[in-house]
Amino acid sequence: MRRLILVALSALVFPAVASAHATLRSTTPSFRSELKQAPSVIRLQFDQQVKVLPGSIRVLNGVGKNFARPARANGTEVVAAVRHLKLGAYTVRWQAISADSHVVSGVWTFGVQVPAPAVENAYGAGGPTAKEHVVRWVWFLGLALTIGALGLRLIVLRGLRVPRPLERRIAVAAGIGALVTIHAGIVAFSLRAEDALQLPFGRFLYGDLSPMAKTRFGFAFVTMTLVFALVLALVYLSWLLDRVEPLVPALLLAVVFAGGLSLSGHDAVDPGSSWKTEIADWLHLSAASLWIGALATMALLLWTGAPDLRKAAFMRFSRLATVLIAVVLGAGVYLAIVRLPHVSDLWATGYGRVLLVKIGLVSFALLWGAFHHFVVAPALERADTGFLGRIGRSLAGESMVGMAVLLLAAILVDSRPPT
Amino acid sequence: MVHWLFAVGILFVGLCLFAEALAGREVWHMRHWRKYLWPALTFVLGLFLWPVMAFFTNSAIHMYAHGSWADGLMLAGAAELGLVHGRLHSPLWRLTWPLAFVITGIAFIVHEQNPWLFARSAFLHHLIGWTFIVGALAPLALAFRPRSAAFQAAFAAVIVVVSIQLFADRDVAPIFGHLSPLAGQQHR
Repeated sequence: MRRLILVALSALVFPAVASAHATLRSTTPSFRSELKQAPSVIRLQFDQQVKVLPGSIRVLNGVGKNFARPARANGTEVVAAVRHLKLGAYTVRWQAISADSHVVSGVWTFGVQVPAPAVENAYGAGGPTAKEHVVRWVWFLGLALTIGALGLRLIVLRGLRVPRPLERRIAVAAGIGALVTIHAGIVAFSLRAEDALQLPFGRFLYGDLSPMAKTRFGFAFVTMTLVFALVLALVYLSWLLDRVEPLVPALLLAVVFAGGLSLSGHDAVDPGSSWKTEIADWLHLSAASLWIGALATMALLLWTGAPDLRKAAFMRFSRLATVLIAVVLGAGVYLAIVRLPHVSDLWATGYGRVLLVKIGLVSFALLWGAFHHFVVAPALERADTGFLGRIGRSLAGESMVGMAVLLLAAILVDSRPPT
Repeated sequence: MVHWLFAVGILFVGLCLFAEALAGREVWHMRHWRKYLWPALTFVLGLFLWPVMAFFTNSAIHMYAHGSWADGLMLAGAAELGLVHGRLHSPLWRLTWPLAFVITGIAFIVHEQNPWLFARSAFLHHLIGWTFIVGALAPLALAFRPRSAAFQAAFAAVIVVVSIQLFADRDVAPIFGHLSPLAGQQHR
């Protein structure tokens, strides 16, 4: 009987395959290739028959001049001859009607004797907008909430008797953070792809995003989506079983893969970037996420949910924050030196001015933290309930300043520093 | 391949639900692991939809559809696990099922551009979408009458039917054929 079930399951699992709408299988030249000789044709290979539209293939140079001749479809292939291309970077924009009548579209880049630009820098792409800054900020907030909530439970409250309701609320907060991280990532990826494809929303829905998925940003998006889905499952398991163990791999995964946000930003590709700046960026982001997220979770959940733990948690967090701030400042100063070669860049460039505002806000948050560390902490021993209540509000205020810092960090990650 | 793998998972969930409806919840729950079986499988299917969402980027609409199914399945599976484990108590958490069904159905219909009779794939996308939307009535009724074997059987039937439709959606046998010459040559 068991053998029969296994055979039946195997037969169900391995299908004969048929496709939905047309998918681009390969291109000539390939995505982001650097060619020694200019190509004479552009060739798109699909997985099924397609039809061409007017302007099915356009080969655009840096000022938007089209070099492609009219395209023709030949079965699963679309081919367009190309006029002579001079040295430079080119963008290919294509569209075709698949067998199910869906208009599929896409974009990729190549270079003739020069490196091809990333697809998000294709001709016609406008670069990050205010909408993208806000989405990236939400992405940062999700990350901070996940790492902060998990860090609060596993580091700050380690060894203490944590009431079950608080335990569950912390898991719920971490789960919400992971969900926000996943969904903000999807929106950020879509916005970046929409900008590269330059299509109206209705057509964008059927646009081919696979060249975007092959960029650093796409790689970071895919990796972070998968990892944070796993983090979400682990946090859920912890909540369901009332066990803290699943939170340990969840925190490790979240911290290690927080670097995806750094790798998808300017730091990974700008001149002067190296493995050292990537590590510095990852440390900067991870430490800031833990600091701001744990502070917010402590103010919102622990302060109201476990009054008995307030003093112990505050003292432990105060010690942890000292280390985190040292890491944030150390990595931040190093990155500022690498990215801004001249001090005057701080006020002479847009990037520098945003950084200046961020430094101002960080200093404000640090002063607030120093007040907690040097004034509030020693007074905690003789604190009454009213005093502790006011500290909760003060912690919430400090975490809000931290969240504002993350907004500026989101703008900086999307911007290009002066070279 | 992916369609078939998920069809297998969904078929298994549906058959477990049928078995539970036939045997009765008390009998089904006599083995401790059995009560977790289909809720856990639902949750895991939702989790495995995230790689599908992340790796199938050949169109934005498919990304959003797969993402919404991942959300729906994980939510419904998580709520059901919470209920059988005793972490959640209100049977109204079972409303996550009709919610997931409606979201899934809308995603199926919206991500199909063509009319019903355009091609087999289009026909099945519409059919699956409407099966989910109309079928949401079964888990909706079950949320308010959790002990009703009839509603549980109806719920199971919807899931089994959807799994068969998913198999048919990627089956190259000419069940419907290509209904329109616009769809071009039949292909494998």
